Amino acid sequence: MILFHIRRSLKDLIGHATLILFPLILIFFFDYLYKTIDIQTGMEVEGQQRLALLVIGFALTFQIYGAALSFETLAADFYSPMHDRLFASPVEGRSLVLSVLLSGTVVSFLQSLVIVLFSFIVMGASIPSLFVVLVILLVSVLFNQLLGTVLLFLVGTSKAANVVTTIYGSVVPMLLGLYFPLPDSALFRVIRLYGTPMSLANTASIRAMEGDYGSMALVMLPIAVIIVLLFVSLKPLVRRIEV
Amino acid sequence: MVLQVDEVMKRFNTNLALDCCSLRVEQGEVIGLLGPNGAGKTTCIRAIIGLIGIDEGSITVFGMPQDGKNKAIRRKIGYVTQEITLYEDMSGRDNLAFFASLYGMSKADIQVRMAEVGRLIGLEGRLGDKVKHYSGGMKRRLNIGCALMHKPALIIMDEPTVGIDPQSRSFILQAVKELAKSGVTIIYTSHYIEEVEAVASRIYIMDNGHIIADGTLRELIARIRGDHFIEVEVRLASEQKRKELLGLADVKEVALEGNRYTIVVPGGIPILDKVVLSLSEQGLVTINTKQPNLEDVFLTLTGKQLRDEVAS
Repeated sequence: MILFHIRRSLKDLIGHATLILFPLILIFFFDYLYKTIDIQTGMEVEGQQRLALLVIGFALTFQIYGAALSFETLAADFYSPMHDRLFASPVEGRSLVLSVLLSGTVVSFLQSLVIVLFSFIVMGASIPSLFVVLVILLVSVLFNQLLGTVLLFLVGTSKAANVVTTIYGSVVPMLLGLYFPLPDSALFRVIRLYGTPMSLANTASIRAMEGDYGSMALVMLPIAVIIVLLFVSLKPLVRRIEV
Repeated sequence: MVLQVDEVMKRFNTNLALDCCSLRVEQGEVIGLLGPNGAGKTTCIRAIIGLIGIDEGSITVFGMPQDGKNKAIRRKIGYVTQEITLYEDMSGRDNLAFFASLYGMSKADIQVRMAEVGRLIGLEGRLGDKVKHYSGGMKRRLNIGCALMHKPALIIMDEPTVGIDPQSRSFILQAVKELAKSGVTIIYTSHYIEEVEAVASRIYIMDNGHIIADGTLRELIARIRGDHFIEVEVRLASEQKRKELLGLADVKEVALEGNRYTIVVPGGIPILDKVVLSLSEQGLVTINTKQPNLEDVFLTLTGKQLRDEVAS
């Protein structure tokens, strides 16, 4: 089932190409901007590490839109006549949902992987502890996919879920200081480092690149807890859409 | 007994969707479930499959109570949905394999069964194509094929020929007949009377969530054998005139479809002159008397003409 949904998802070439090419263009653009214009980036590191942060920041940002692609798939299955066809089978509702969700996770992680590897190989981005950073990106993908799924099942339509995701996907990178520098105050520093799940994943990536794995684990802990909570909340939500 | 539905009630808020609905289906029967849109056919089917709960009554499928959680029941049912439920970006083969996999079939079994089903639905040469490149009729056939992959003992087809060309419709009806010959039990819902007449060994007529009659085609027609049916086509028919006709002595029922009235009167009553007189001002075009068919049974029992309901 998962393989089928991965193949099904990959048919949306334009969607996936956009989610890979657009962040790469933005990475190029912002890297150029920060290199040639005297601007306070608001980031704590410079040079090659700045490029690495742009790569991670935009990979994390576009994972949110990757989740939107997944819940479009879920909506096509569970808020359409396909619902009856699938639930008429002996497969548990939760398995049906998880198969779509996991395939979305795989595909979205592949997008992040392509962005990171392209930046690493072609743009020469230096990403220390690359493997650990990729694991963090994978956890972040899972979080975003679960969040998108729970959101869809809560609001009941992909249109409403899309609106929420678009707002979330626009605001959260700003709070990270990805598009423009934030004021250098204690409050904004806390928001930038720990204020949102995306900030947490970003901060964890920085800690991993610095080799501070203890802090990294500590920063990732809230995300892990939220993932567990989202996963648990899926059960009653799936039961609600079953009948 | 394959299926037993006993006095089932189902409400959606204040709307009574199933009203004391009862039906029985024996092994190997092809049951035609006939009724206009909104009669409760799809609700009845969804309750049988366990997709919705019921408020009162009971449903037993293959001797097992349908509580909505019984996977063994679902394994034995093949459900052809009214809407086309296929993955358009995937090939016909992918769709057949996916729906078969939901029933736990092995890859080897899927390959063997795919060839059989592909032949039955007449798509064996096109299964490699993406569904989005299929015609409406081909999609309908594949929709049926997906429900047949796991060799269900009971196939439930909910309006499987809606919106397709006559050739595909004929192909589907032929496939249903072939399936019936193989001994599988089929429930076939439709608002096309001629389809139900063609495939069903027994017919249930449903209206307003209630089964109002059942029997073989012959038995149902025998119920109204004493009645005569007069079809009168005029230049400009009206609902007001229909009501006037209904008010004539001895007229049992009057249906209006376009500019044609169908008038039901008890046999042996000389009423034609009154009808002609009443309708002369509307410009008579043709007058026919005819032998009753299933459509007339429906009209007599419900006071409605099935096709009118469909159009509305």
